[in-house]
Amino acid sequence: MKNRLLKGLALAATVSFAASLTIVPAQAANEILVWADETRGPNLTKVFAKKGDWVPGSTIKVVSFSSYDALKAALDNASGTTGPDIFVAGNDWVPALAKSGKLAPVVLTAAQKAQFTPSQFFDLSYGGNLYGVPVDVNNVGMVFNTKLVKTAPKTYGEMVNYYLANKTKKGLKAGLCVAGGGMSWGALSGFSALGAEPYMMNSDGTVNYNKSFDPTVFAKNVSTLLLDKKGKSNGFWPATDTGCQDNFLAGKVPFAIIGNWHWRTFAEAGFEMNIMPVPGVKAGTYGKMFGSVSGAFLTSYAETHGVSVSAKSLLTSFFASTKGQVAYQAEEGRPPAEKGAQKSQLVLGGQKAMGAAASLSSIPQIGAFLNTNKGGASYWDSAPAYWTAVLVDGKNPLVEAKKLAAIWKANVAAGKADL
Amino acid sequence: MSSIFRGKFATAIKIAILAITTAILSLLAQSAFASGESAIGAFLVFAIVALNFTYFTKFSIPLKFFVPGILFFIAFVIAPIVFTVIMSVFNYQTGNYISKPASIEQVLILGVESDANQTTFDLVAGKDSNGDYAVLVSDIANQRFFISTQDKITDVDASKLIINEYGVATTAPGFTAISDNELAANDAYSKIRYKYQDGYYVKIEGQGVGAVFRQKIAYDAKTDTMKNIITGETYINNGKGNFALEGSPETVLTPGWRAPIWFENYTKLVTDTRFRTPLIKVFIWTVVFSALTVLSTFSFGLLLALALNRKMRGRRIYRSILILPYAMPSIMSILIWGGMFDSEFGAINNILHTHIAWFSSATFARAAVLLVNLWLGFPYFYLICSGSLQAIPSELLEAAAIDGANPRQIFRRITLPLLLQILSPLLIASFAYNFNNFNLIYLLTGGGPRNSLDGEVAGATDILISYTYQIAFGRGMNDFGLASAISVIIFLLVASISFYGLKKSKVMETFG
Repeated sequence: MKNRLLKGLALAATVSFAASLTIVPAQAANEILVWADETRGPNLTKVFAKKGDWVPGSTIKVVSFSSYDALKAALDNASGTTGPDIFVAGNDWVPALAKSGKLAPVVLTAAQKAQFTPSQFFDLSYGGNLYGVPVDVNNVGMVFNTKLVKTAPKTYGEMVNYYLANKTKKGLKAGLCVAGGGMSWGALSGFSALGAEPYMMNSDGTVNYNKSFDPTVFAKNVSTLLLDKKGKSNGFWPATDTGCQDNFLAGKVPFAIIGNWHWRTFAEAGFEMNIMPVPGVKAGTYGKMFGSVSGAFLTSYAETHGVSVSAKSLLTSFFASTKGQVAYQAEEGRPPAEKGAQKSQLVLGGQKAMGAAASLSSIPQIGAFLNTNKGGASYWDSAPAYWTAVLVDGKNPLVEAKKLAAIWKANVAAGKADL
Repeated sequence: MSSIFRGKFATAIKIAILAITTAILSLLAQSAFASGESAIGAFLVFAIVALNFTYFTKFSIPLKFFVPGILFFIAFVIAPIVFTVIMSVFNYQTGNYISKPASIEQVLILGVESDANQTTFDLVAGKDSNGDYAVLVSDIANQRFFISTQDKITDVDASKLIINEYGVATTAPGFTAISDNELAANDAYSKIRYKYQDGYYVKIEGQGVGAVFRQKIAYDAKTDTMKNIITGETYINNGKGNFALEGSPETVLTPGWRAPIWFENYTKLVTDTRFRTPLIKVFIWTVVFSALTVLSTFSFGLLLALALNRKMRGRRIYRSILILPYAMPSIMSILIWGGMFDSEFGAINNILHTHIAWFSSATFARAAVLLVNLWLGFPYFYLICSGSLQAIPSELLEAAAIDGANPRQIFRRITLPLLLQILSPLLIASFAYNFNNFNLIYLLTGGGPRNSLDGEVAGATDILISYTYQIAFGRGMNDFGLASAISVIIFLLVASISFYGLKKSKVMETFG
């Protein structure tokens, strides 16, 4: 028996040893590991396949995840041995990841900074440190069906009037709905056009801490434009985003808020539409949208992997450069964040139109104010709750608007310390 | 047949399977140790030893059948429970994920500040005449050029330099530049703080670029405190996984570390109204939801079983149709029901010609949850009730009928009590299952509706497990420690309810 045991163990050990020799190191030397989601990842792979020498002496490996959530889960579970050197994602993860020590600060030269608008750095910063470079602009735009509406509306009231006049005649399901970005991120324009904003910005791109929105004005606009005489929803602005895209494409909704990652789908479907910001109550004013940016972020693992210099170089030579952003956005199709790339002839018309809408009326997406629930609920939870309370449950718009204003004001006060 | 399990061929197969298993487990163990997961690594080593010892010796024949199951049981039942219990006494949340040494390292990396102008320089990395790591820095704005090492800074006259078309010095006497390829291959250059002026240093921030910093935060291991060298402020270990500013405990340095806080997560659930109030509300709904689900699915399943227990035309077809909801993946069913309940475009509102906002009203959302769960659950009880009805001796029913009992009395006095005796363990198991029926709640309502404007944290349809998920993986900030504490409480509740129910039904005695 002893003999058999020894023979068996010897054989098992031999096979184990042979197998262990085949282990491929998690990361090759001088290799910069980039993580991205299911759309950004394959597009980055294509770009790096065409040109891979963005950082002399280093190679670039892109790992694509099956979804944005899968990328987030992988980052949450990442360790020094498994984590990436750079990842590409939206900015809303910055506070949690920075607080958890997964991000490393990035320093840009004055010339590099000048290629972006100052507010774009808001989105990628936490606790006074910048953790990534802006890659593309994430924003929404309002599109209108040119077969239904011939000229661009000048005011919010014009859109409501069109809807009420044609609701029965044309079988409209809604007047304006959210097809991209959901009822909190995408719906900011809907709030803002009627006078509610989670925080107020000064013209120089700084936050105005002394001012918050006036719930009385906002509630009055809601009552006038979105409710009927009995105080019930007139159907112009649905409380949910369900079915919005389908109804817009079917000609049952004249105006829709879409994400800038959607425009190509609409355009390629041969749909006739125009892109603009949501018009405000008064002519010449517009509802603000989150002109947030996606970023390429440096992780603290780059230092552990011994590629921090190369990873920082990739951030500046590719992700933050004109050439890099043009090459990347040719595949990705979002408006580039970098000024040089925005002007490039290679950037498509839809990308520019979306970018133009953002530049006309946008505010930075400041996670420190929006993610906190110190005021009782985060912006993401409280914003859709307002529409449900007023448009579905029929609650008093002013009472609910006062609650909303109090929550947002408290969140801004709490988030100020994190900036 | 038995020759397959004996002889040289069988031994060869056994050795091959064990060798492959050992190889795979060795790889996993190696990977676990390399990732710093020593507990997982140790378990895998234990599994390798246990498997080889069991199958290469005649120590215990029964163990040869049990050992894989025991190992899986330890890995996937015991270990998660132990880990959850341990995590429930830790401050384990966003900002407190990593170990204390890693936290100190990160705080020191982040504890630097740029100079007032956020100065950056063009530079070239290389070595000075002594062979020390150095950088040749070009301060183009001030037309100053210098070679800097960790210890000294040496100005170089521009006339002695080769300067490129961008005004950047590329070579200097006594300085040997390295190429970008060499810099990429040697990270040691980037770890050095090259001397600058007034307490500041230059750090390489990419190929050809350096930035000016100074250290702001320093760690004192003796007192286990962090100190802001510039302002003199001291941050003390608050015992909860953070260095907190002396006199202002709310101001902490990030990241913190995963620290034991013993029963604080549990006491928080009792003393902190932000958690206590929703927890009580959620607990009550969880019990109601589980009880109503068991009651409704059992009643409906029994009703159908009784109806189809009699001979009738097309009974087989009816039976097959009734099992269909059980055969369909529940995730698909839930999502389809979700679409049908949609207030704008859902089939239910369209058929009823109503405009009910099913998932916006607490009452309707709860009704929808119960209705969908009835759909998902009744085929199971229909099946087991059908089987159990067959098991009731027909003599009993016939004797009752002869004694003059009507069908209702027979059902109430004989059939139902006997059925309940048979099905008690399954009813208890169903209650325990629905107590943790995460899929249904998460996919159908997401726990909502919740009125965030009134500060509601838990939704109207949130059950304990979905509420726990929201705390652990909700938007923005996660609190795994608190979620673990709630999980432990759920575990104790479900275990107690199940144990009590089983004891009452005397099933354990039967097994005993």
